[in-house]
Amino acid sequence: MKENLEVIKAQAISAIETAADEKEIEELRVKYLGKKGELTAILKQMGSLDPAERPIMGQLVNEAKQSLEELIGKKKSELLAKATELKLKAETIDITMPAKTSKPGKLHPLNSVLDDMIDIFQSMGFDVVDGPEVETDYYNFECLNVPADHPARDMQDTFYLGENLLLRTQTSAAQIRTMETRKPPIRVICPGRVYRADEVDATHSPVFHQIEGLVVDKGITMCDLKGVLEQFAHEIYGKDTKVKFRPSFFPFTEPSVEVDVSCSECGGKGCRVCKGSGWIEILGAGMVHPRVLESCGIDPEEYSGFAFGIGLDRLTTTRYKISDIRLLFENDKRFLEQF
Amino acid sequence: MKISLNQLKTYVDINIPVLEMCDKMVMAGFEVESIEKQGDNLVNVVAAKILEITPHENSDHLQICQMDIGKGEPIQIVTGAQNISVGDLVPAALDDSYLPNGMHIVAGKLRGVPSNGMLCSGEELCLTENDYPGASVHGILILRDEHPAGTDMREVLGLDDYIIDFKITANRPDCNCFLGVAKEISVVLGTKFNPPVPEFKTIGDKIENYIDVQVENFDLCPRYMGRLVKNLRIKPSPDWMQKAITASGMRPINNIVDITNFVMLETGQPMHAFNYNDIADKKIIVRNANEGESITTLDGVEHKLNTDMLVIADGQKPSCLAGIMGGRESEIEDDTKDLFLESAKFRRDNIRHTGRALGMRTEASGRYERGTDINNVEFAMNRALQLIYELDAGDIIEGTLDRHQGLPEERIITTTTDKILELIGVDVPCDTIISILNSLGLNATIDGNEVTCRIPSIRDDIEGRADLAEEVMRIYGYDHIVGTPMRGEVIRGKKLPERLKNDKIKALLSGLGAFEVTTYSFIASKAIDTLRLAEDDARRNQVNIINPLGDEYSVMRTQLVTSMLTVLSTNINRKNGDGRFYEISKRFIPKQLPVTEQPDELPEMCIGIYGKDEDFFTLKGMVEEIMKLFGAHTRYERSSEPYLHPGRQALVKANNKPVAVLGEVHPDVAASYGIDTRVYIAEIKLDVLYTIEKRKTTYKPLPKFPAVERDFAMLCDIDIPVGNLEQAIVSGASRLLEKVELFDVYTGSQIPEGKKSVAFSVALRSSEGTLSDTQIEEVNSRIIKKLEAAGAELRK
Repeated sequence: MKENLEVIKAQAISAIETAADEKEIEELRVKYLGKKGELTAILKQMGSLDPAERPIMGQLVNEAKQSLEELIGKKKSELLAKATELKLKAETIDITMPAKTSKPGKLHPLNSVLDDMIDIFQSMGFDVVDGPEVETDYYNFECLNVPADHPARDMQDTFYLGENLLLRTQTSAAQIRTMETRKPPIRVICPGRVYRADEVDATHSPVFHQIEGLVVDKGITMCDLKGVLEQFAHEIYGKDTKVKFRPSFFPFTEPSVEVDVSCSECGGKGCRVCKGSGWIEILGAGMVHPRVLESCGIDPEEYSGFAFGIGLDRLTTTRYKISDIRLLFENDKRFLEQF
Repeated sequence: MKISLNQLKTYVDINIPVLEMCDKMVMAGFEVESIEKQGDNLVNVVAAKILEITPHENSDHLQICQMDIGKGEPIQIVTGAQNISVGDLVPAALDDSYLPNGMHIVAGKLRGVPSNGMLCSGEELCLTENDYPGASVHGILILRDEHPAGTDMREVLGLDDYIIDFKITANRPDCNCFLGVAKEISVVLGTKFNPPVPEFKTIGDKIENYIDVQVENFDLCPRYMGRLVKNLRIKPSPDWMQKAITASGMRPINNIVDITNFVMLETGQPMHAFNYNDIADKKIIVRNANEGESITTLDGVEHKLNTDMLVIADGQKPSCLAGIMGGRESEIEDDTKDLFLESAKFRRDNIRHTGRALGMRTEASGRYERGTDINNVEFAMNRALQLIYELDAGDIIEGTLDRHQGLPEERIITTTTDKILELIGVDVPCDTIISILNSLGLNATIDGNEVTCRIPSIRDDIEGRADLAEEVMRIYGYDHIVGTPMRGEVIRGKKLPERLKNDKIKALLSGLGAFEVTTYSFIASKAIDTLRLAEDDARRNQVNIINPLGDEYSVMRTQLVTSMLTVLSTNINRKNGDGRFYEISKRFIPKQLPVTEQPDELPEMCIGIYGKDEDFFTLKGMVEEIMKLFGAHTRYERSSEPYLHPGRQALVKANNKPVAVLGEVHPDVAASYGIDTRVYIAEIKLDVLYTIEKRKTTYKPLPKFPAVERDFAMLCDIDIPVGNLEQAIVSGASRLLEKVELFDVYTGSQIPEGKKSVAFSVALRSSEGTLSDTQIEEVNSRIIKKLEAAGAELRK
């Protein structure tokens, strides 16, 4: 009987090890360990043994059963792992096939640049305000120290809608409205659409966009103006960017300056972008003219302030190297997708 | 203003290279628009000596010249001119040379004979008789002076000057002249300023014996000064004066006219010369024009005048349009004998007004518009007389007719150094402040820290400490300003609610695959007609631009649809397969027409989509997502927007307020934009949408009990909206409803004519417990009842 057991065990082990799939394993399990299996049959024959041999034999059979069960379990998981591996291998895909996506749209490049700028100025404590695009002569000119028939009016060609109504030529008009409604300290920017009667070409558009900045408080100086513009320039053009003031004239600021930044393309050495000068003019600025403060009910002896106006369209075209401003208003999807 | 550098050097020492001087001027507030080196457009042209002339075999007019160009070996040049002989010195444009008229000369062959350049005429070198005697001769320019062969023609012609174009800002009318700029240069460079000192002799007699001057309107003409010059000796003006005038873009005419122009360019004070013999009644009257009067100006144009316009009249008629242009009748001509010379101040806004009204702008009126100095009137007059005297152009009569009502005193500005520096934030030493102000002629004195300036009338632009601060800084140098970081408490700035809401919509639409566009706010006046609107549609009430760039941009838009259709058309015609676009901008709605007050500017959003996967419902999906963003309860109703497809459009009501329309664009409208495919447009009134108060979101517990799903399939008349059936299910299921979803609409085989099959999937759930069969049966039958009431019949 003992020999018989050894034979059965050896047969079973070899059969299990060569089993090809899960089904065959299961058949072997039934064949050897099932109710009518060969090992079970040996157990049934135990009655014919000498009582003294029975426990020994019983233990042997149980050991054989246990080792076969273990072997079957091990073989089963081996086969399962192999099957899974094969299945996954068969499922291999070409990862260079195109992505399936619902493609997101984009902000217009002007507004994506504007959003960056708003973020920069908000972080410096500037509130973002709005003003009407159709302005009165008073807010667009008179209050900004440009009386009727003043030669400074020639600096801007204005679209008129009525005797006293015009399309604002500058967001500076919003300065006045802000100073009328807020008390110092004031720190605002007003981004918006402005209009000038310029014929359309690659660098001119009768509709364009400005960001007006205004700060009014006690003791504001040109150093504060430069500080704010430096921070702005560092964030937009990089931290090594230098800022230079050049004297200029705007009726609503005194002193007035044009502001240049060192050319980010060549680092100030001179290149095609900056026409060899190393500097790029980015905005006009100055200390708010005392008469402008006065006409808004702010005492220029007590308060001072600065204002600046940034051309958004120019900033956008230089940032993205867009050669023709008309592209901004044409809205070709292949253009809009790029930003 | 363009100025000759050589001319500037007669007033001020310029001890540094021209480019460096220009850089310094830029940093003092005088932008340099261009620096033109004379002769820059005359390259590789030399004086050459003709060694030999032989006829050309194949031509009866061409000649072959052997030319000495100073290089040892002569070169051969073929010419068609006949006025040359051996030994002549002539200008020769060599291979690869440029002429002032833009011509580029290269070596080539003329009728088979090699020619290594071109012999030039005076005309080809853009020379006149004034530039070089003989320049106007037909043929080659024969040079008179001796020069070694090979001398550059720029040297021969004395072209050694620079012409600098300074951009003079509107606040500095005093610098629209040689002396103004020279004075600034002297301050910037710290060198001596040498203005001319007018001196001349008269021949006696008395001006009162010849003429009288009356000013009727001192408001428009605060000062009028006249002098008389007899026995004019009219001839060309000297070379230096012609060069100075030409450099500044004016044309030399004769000594008298040139003197008036030169004095204007030099001093900034326009002068006018009248032919004394043409002045009727020997009277000069400065007055407003009479109704119906007219004048023919020097340019030969007749102008009808009105009573706002100031004229210089004689005893009978206007003889000059004050400050703008003289009359043809009193023009100085070659045979003019006696001269009445005017130097005057006119009010700038009046000159500007008249100039605009008549469409005239001259060197004189430009200067008057910007403002001239009342005290400069006399200096300029004396300077003109000095030049007349020195150039022996006539005999000056004793006496000046000077009409004014008092001349202004110097204005006193008192402030402190602290007040000046307060605006700048830079510590400039007191004595530096004072010396800068004095160098600019602002007569500053200091007592402690109190600064007193006596401002001459020529610096009208200086009104207070802010102006003084600018004067100090632009000379001291803006480079001294050091940026200081934002002071005080900095808390993040805020956006207005509308901007925040726009931002939210834009983020949503980007997620939905839509691209933001920007279009002009003004559109063609006829664009609105493309929308098939009724005659009385309010959108036709558009605000006109009085001076548009053209009809294409002539009215402020009352809707964004036409602009969006243009965007769609552009993209479709460029074969961009599909697209979703949106714009957030303003509608301009007038309160009245013609406008007398600001129109309402209402925020509006327009969406436009097209492409093979797009239809009414994809657009509806976009609109719905926007509505959800603001927590709006929406309802869709049939609408009758004329520009949309009559059967494929809807009005959207949010919380019962009309907030949007959407639909497929009417094919006729699309066709007028060259669009031959289906496109869809939605307009959303953001002003209405933004009034909706979004309810606060509060968490609802996740369901504890299972849901029951039931499908309802039904037949109904084909024109019953599925929305009605959905409503029936909603009200039948009441608060047990968790979800209702349309999953099939079908017409065709097996469905009776005029009917459709509709199927909904409905999920029911109670928050209180698992639904019992009885509960489910109850709800079922309520739903069926409601559906039957709505006209549907359940399919078994």
